Amino acid sequence: MVLDLFREISQTLGHNKVRTALTGIAVTWGIFMLIVLLSFARGITNSFDYRMASRNTESMTIWSGTTTIPYKGNRDGRRIKMKQHDIVTIKERNPESVVEVTSKISGNGKISSEKGSVSNGYTGSYPDGLSKSFNSELIAGRFINQKDMDEKAKVMVLPEYFAKQLFPPEGADAVGKRVNCNFLSFLIVGVYSSRWDRTIFIPFTTAAMMQPDNQDYGMISVDLKGLKNEEDALNAEKKVRNTLAVNHNFDPDDNNAVYINNYFTSALQTKKAMGILDMCVWVLGILTLLSGIVGISNIMFVTVKERTHEIGIRRAIGAKPSKILTQIITESIAITLIFGYIGIFLGTVVTQVIATLMGNNEVFRNPTVSMTIALEVTFVLILAGTVAGLFPALKALKVKPVEALRDE
Amino acid sequence: MDNMIELRDINKTYPGAVPLHVLKGINLDVRKGELVSIMGASGSGKSTLLNILGILDNYDSGEYRLNGTLIKDLSENKSAEFRNKMIGFVFQSFNLINYKDAMENVALPLFYQGVSRKKRNALAMEQLDKMGLADWAHHLPSEMSGGQKQRVAIARAMITNPDIILADEPTGALDSKTSADVMEIFRKLNEDEGKTIVIVTHDPGVAEQTDRLIRISDGLIVPDNKVVIPEEQEVTKTPNS
Repeated sequence: MVLDLFREISQTLGHNKVRTALTGIAVTWGIFMLIVLLSFARGITNSFDYRMASRNTESMTIWSGTTTIPYKGNRDGRRIKMKQHDIVTIKERNPESVVEVTSKISGNGKISSEKGSVSNGYTGSYPDGLSKSFNSELIAGRFINQKDMDEKAKVMVLPEYFAKQLFPPEGADAVGKRVNCNFLSFLIVGVYSSRWDRTIFIPFTTAAMMQPDNQDYGMISVDLKGLKNEEDALNAEKKVRNTLAVNHNFDPDDNNAVYINNYFTSALQTKKAMGILDMCVWVLGILTLLSGIVGISNIMFVTVKERTHEIGIRRAIGAKPSKILTQIITESIAITLIFGYIGIFLGTVVTQVIATLMGNNEVFRNPTVSMTIALEVTFVLILAGTVAGLFPALKALKVKPVEALRDE
Repeated sequence: MDNMIELRDINKTYPGAVPLHVLKGINLDVRKGELVSIMGASGSGKSTLLNILGILDNYDSGEYRLNGTLIKDLSENKSAEFRNKMIGFVFQSFNLINYKDAMENVALPLFYQGVSRKKRNALAMEQLDKMGLADWAHHLPSEMSGGQKQRVAIARAMITNPDIILADEPTGALDSKTSADVMEIFRKLNEDEGKTIVIVTHDPGVAEQTDRLIRISDGLIVPDNKVVIPEEQEVTKTPNS
């Protein structure tokens, strides 16, 4: 029965090829625009997702700040200095949400090899230090591990940029070599590449040992667990802030005493923004498609008018009204789908060409048409075809079988 | 019950600023297996009568029984179903669908019965073969002569094996030689298969070949059941309103 319907449609559509094609172009254009815009939006979203994925979203970073509210006899304007005690207590007092608390210690110092030297200072880091550095990738050796931490080992991980200066010409050769830093000899265990980061990493414990007086941490990273929604994330943030407020005697409501960057909530906000972008694209695309729908509807009206006599004959020889309705609407859906798919095809081709030309950069990543989009667009097309065919079909329903007796 | 058609006091008025009382109490019986013709001037109510017989239009009062089934106040779906199964139409202007070939045109009524494509095409070929048009099965109506087209239309009317064939001026668009051929087909269907056939015509020559002539004038049946050829056909024509 479905096959029969298709034969009927192909016969009627073949009847007025040029007119049908001209009308269909509007639909093709609308879908083409929708696909291109959607894949662009997808490209932007992919790029955000990619950046997000390189960081653990169940985490937050705390920066020390200055109090702005007087509290329990302490005046405002007091600088909060986070200590080793804070790192320990944040983890101890919030066992249900905190997995690990880490920090960095920065120190000044000249690092020199036999071939050169750099005066960039070093950073004492936990084993997860590199994963927190944006877009950084290890290219040789390994990063600092827990064993280095426990042994306060004198090992170092260099950025490729400095590795090349200290051990020219190839930075990767640096692994296994030794450098001097503040009169101590360090073994290079790894080299990483990064576009922006030029941190020289040594184990946190080693750095703490090198400067025992420096117990002042400008920044603390907290890894969280069990966050399911924004509320969980805000609760965890509040608890950590309370811990610090108790330690340092500041008002828990004073958001300037310590600054907390909660990656979970910012990821949610980004997701929300991406959702809005996607929605805007749909609205734009569908508005463009609307002119196509009007065109199809128009042409279906003309078709019904032209075929009044034929519809009358069909009614006279026994076509039920529902059959006529289905036929007109199916024809409309068929036209919309055919030209819509041409639009999908062209849109995909153009998107692929752009993707190949532009490649993956910071704002744009892999802008492709996914299966989901194709399915969603198909649904939109069927809906559009139905809407376009509905009114002409209702008009066709008004054709009485007596029309068959009228002379053409 | 050997009446195929029973009309009892059928009245039909077209509403309007000046309501038009077209059928003023039609009483008519057509027996099973009869071949009858209906003649009447334009404006006599002939077309309206044909529409009612063909379940294409409703009537206001009275009773119409087709093969014992009361045809009254039917829904659109029911009347479509009855038209499809009980009536075979043959029209003056053939009314074939111009982008379908002969076989597809003949098979179309079965499409609306939900018969499979294979089966209905086989049945259509059978009917075309009976009409001597097997070789023309895949020709479009535009590639055929008037006589051939009317034979395709008769094949389409016959494919559902209807109770009656209703023919509206079936020879109106044909020359005399072809008209005779078409009338021969109707006579054969009537004699060999016992088909009840009602032919509406202007042509006395056509009416002459039927068993009985029914004349309608001014919304009533003229009580004269013998085949009489009216001599003053044009004179009786009443002014059209």
